[in-house]
Amino acid sequence: MSDHPVTIKAVHPPLPERLRELVASDLGSYVLAVVLIVLPLLVSGSWMFAIGVCFANAIGVLAVSFLVRYGGEVSIGHAFFAAVGAYSVAILDTRFGLSLLVSVPLALVLGVVTGVAFAWPSRKLSGIYLAVSTMALALAVPELINNTDALTGGYEGLYVSKPLIPGLPMSFQRYYVALAVLIAVVFALARFRHSRQGLTILLSKAHPAAADAFGTRQVWARCAVLGISGGIAALCGAMLAFAGSTVSPSGFTLWSSIFLLVGSVVSFYGLTLARALIGGAFLTLVPQFLSASGAWIPVFYGLALLGMILLGHYLPRLKEMMARHGGTA
Amino acid sequence: MNDVLRDLFPLAWSGMITGCLYALGAMGLVMIFKSSRVVNFSHGNVAGFAAFLIYGFSSGVLLDLSWGAAVLLTIVAVVAIACLTYAVIAPLVFDSDLTATIATLGIGLIAQGATLLIFGADIVSLDLPIPRFSTSVLGLRITGYDLTVLGVAIVTIGALFFVIDYTKLGIAFRAISENSFAAEVCGLNLRSIHLFSWVVAAVLGVVGALLIVPTTFLSVTTVAAFMLQAFAAAVIGGFASLPGSLIGGILIGVLMNLFTFYVSPQFSSTFLLCIILLALNIFPNGILARVGGSRV
Repeated sequence: MSDHPVTIKAVHPPLPERLRELVASDLGSYVLAVVLIVLPLLVSGSWMFAIGVCFANAIGVLAVSFLVRYGGEVSIGHAFFAAVGAYSVAILDTRFGLSLLVSVPLALVLGVVTGVAFAWPSRKLSGIYLAVSTMALALAVPELINNTDALTGGYEGLYVSKPLIPGLPMSFQRYYVALAVLIAVVFALARFRHSRQGLTILLSKAHPAAADAFGTRQVWARCAVLGISGGIAALCGAMLAFAGSTVSPSGFTLWSSIFLLVGSVVSFYGLTLARALIGGAFLTLVPQFLSASGAWIPVFYGLALLGMILLGHYLPRLKEMMARHGGTA
Repeated sequence: MNDVLRDLFPLAWSGMITGCLYALGAMGLVMIFKSSRVVNFSHGNVAGFAAFLIYGFSSGVLLDLSWGAAVLLTIVAVVAIACLTYAVIAPLVFDSDLTATIATLGIGLIAQGATLLIFGADIVSLDLPIPRFSTSVLGLRITGYDLTVLGVAIVTIGALFFVIDYTKLGIAFRAISENSFAAEVCGLNLRSIHLFSWVVAAVLGVVGALLIVPTTFLSVTTVAAFMLQAFAAAVIGGFASLPGSLIGGILIGVLMNLFTFYVSPQFSSTFLLCIILLALNIFPNGILARVGGSRV
C-alpha cells in the first residue's frame, strides 16, 4: 500500500464507490420523500397539520442554511423575507381571491427582489456587520405589518382558506402542497450545487480574489446568494401561510428569525431533505411539546443552540483524538 | 419658526438623556467586540434579567432587601453570569467569531426564558430612589431623573475612559484590541482581558437598564428593545470605538426623538434600520474612523 499515496486515493475514489455514495445519499432522500407522501394515511389530522407546518419551517431553515453555505454569512432577519411571502399569499387570497397558483410565484419573485434590494445597500458588509443589519431588518417587520393594516389586517392577521385544487379536502392540500414545495426546493438546491452558477458562488466565497479574477464580482455573488435565499425564505412564508392557515405579525418577529437560525444550526447547515426536516421539526414540534410551559421554549432553544455549536466545535477534535489513539494502538 | 425651535430644544435635550443610556449599552457591546471580536447578542436580555433581579430582590418576590443591597447583589449575580457566559463561549472565540456570536444568541434565549420562568410575563415598575425635582432653565424642563442619568453616565463613562487610558489593565485591553497576536506574544493573557471586558460590559448593561426602566415599565422585552438602539449606536460608532459609540448613542437618541415627534412614532424601527444601513454604507468603520483606503 505504501506505493499508493493515500492523499491521491482520497481525492479520487474509485468510480463504483463514488456511484454507490451518490446513490446512497440520494436513495435516503427518495425513501424519506416516499415515507412522507404516504404518512397522512397513518397519522391523525392534527399531526398532519403540525407536520405540514414543519415542512414550511424546513424551507425557512434551508433559506438560512443556504446563506451560510454559499455566502458564509449569518442572518437573523429571515423573518422579513418569510413575511413577504406569507403576506403575498394571504393578501392575494383574502383581498383578491386568488389561489396559490398566482400567489406562490409572486411570493418567490418578491422574495428574490427584496433579497437583492437588501443585498445592494449591504453589499460591503460581512460577518457580524451583516448580522446586525439583518437584525435591524427583522425588527422593522412587525411594525410595518401593523401599520399597513388596511392591507395586512394588522394585529389580527389574515386567514388563508382558498384551496389550490377545489374539491379536495383542505387538510390534505395543506400537507401535500407544503411537502411538494419543500421537495422542489431541496431538489433545486441539489441541482444548484453542481451548476455553473453554484460553483461560481462557492468559489467567490472560498477564494474571493480568484473569483474576481475569473470575472465573478463579489457584489454579484452577494446579491445572488441573498436573492436566492430571500426567495426560498419567501416560499417558506408562503407555505407557513397556507399550511398554517393564518398569518399574523407575531409570527414574523426577531425571535422567529433567530429560531430559523437555531433550526439551521441544529441541522448543521445541511441542505438535504433529512437535515432540513430536522431543523423544521425542531422549530415546529418543540413548541408543541412544551406548549404547557411556554417559558421553557426559549431556554430549550438556547440550550440546543449552544449544545449543537459546542458539539460542532468539539466533535472534529474528538474524532481526531480518537483516530490518533486508534492509530497508535 | 419660533414654534419649531421651541419644540426642538426640549426634544434634543431629552433625546440626549436617553442617548447617554444608549451609549452606556453600546459601550458594553463595543468593549466585548474590541477585545474578543464577538458581538454579544445576549447583552439586552441579560441586562433585562438583571433589572428583574433588582426588582425581585427589593420588592419581596425573591428577597426583601433595600434598594442599594439589591443592586449590589444583582451586580454580583451579573458578574457571575458574565463569567459563566464567557466560560461557555471561550473555546469558540479563537475558532470563529461568527460562531461565538451565534452562541451568544443562545445565551440570550436562555436569559429570556429564565426571566419568564422566574418572574412571569407580568409588567412591573421599578423606580429609582431619587427625589422628585424639577426646574426650568431657558424654557427647558429639567427633572431630577435627567440630572441623575447625566451624572451617572458622566461618572461611569469617565471612569471607564480613565481605566482604559491610564491603568495597566486598560493598556492591555487596548493592546489586545489593536493586535491580539502581538499582545499575546508580549505575554499578555488574552483570556483575563476578555473576561475583564465581559464583566465591565455586564455592569454597564445593568447601569443602563436601571436608568432606562423608570421611563417606561419593566417587562421581559423592555430592556432587550432598549438594547437594540444601543446596537444602532455601536454601529454608528463603527463597533470598535468607545468615543464613537458615545457619539452614536447621543445621535441615535436625538434622531429617534425628532423622528417620533415630527414624522411618525409607528415606524421607529424602520427608521432605525435605515440609520443602520446608511451609517454602515457611509462610514463603514464608524464616524470617527480615520480616512484611508484599502489595497488589494
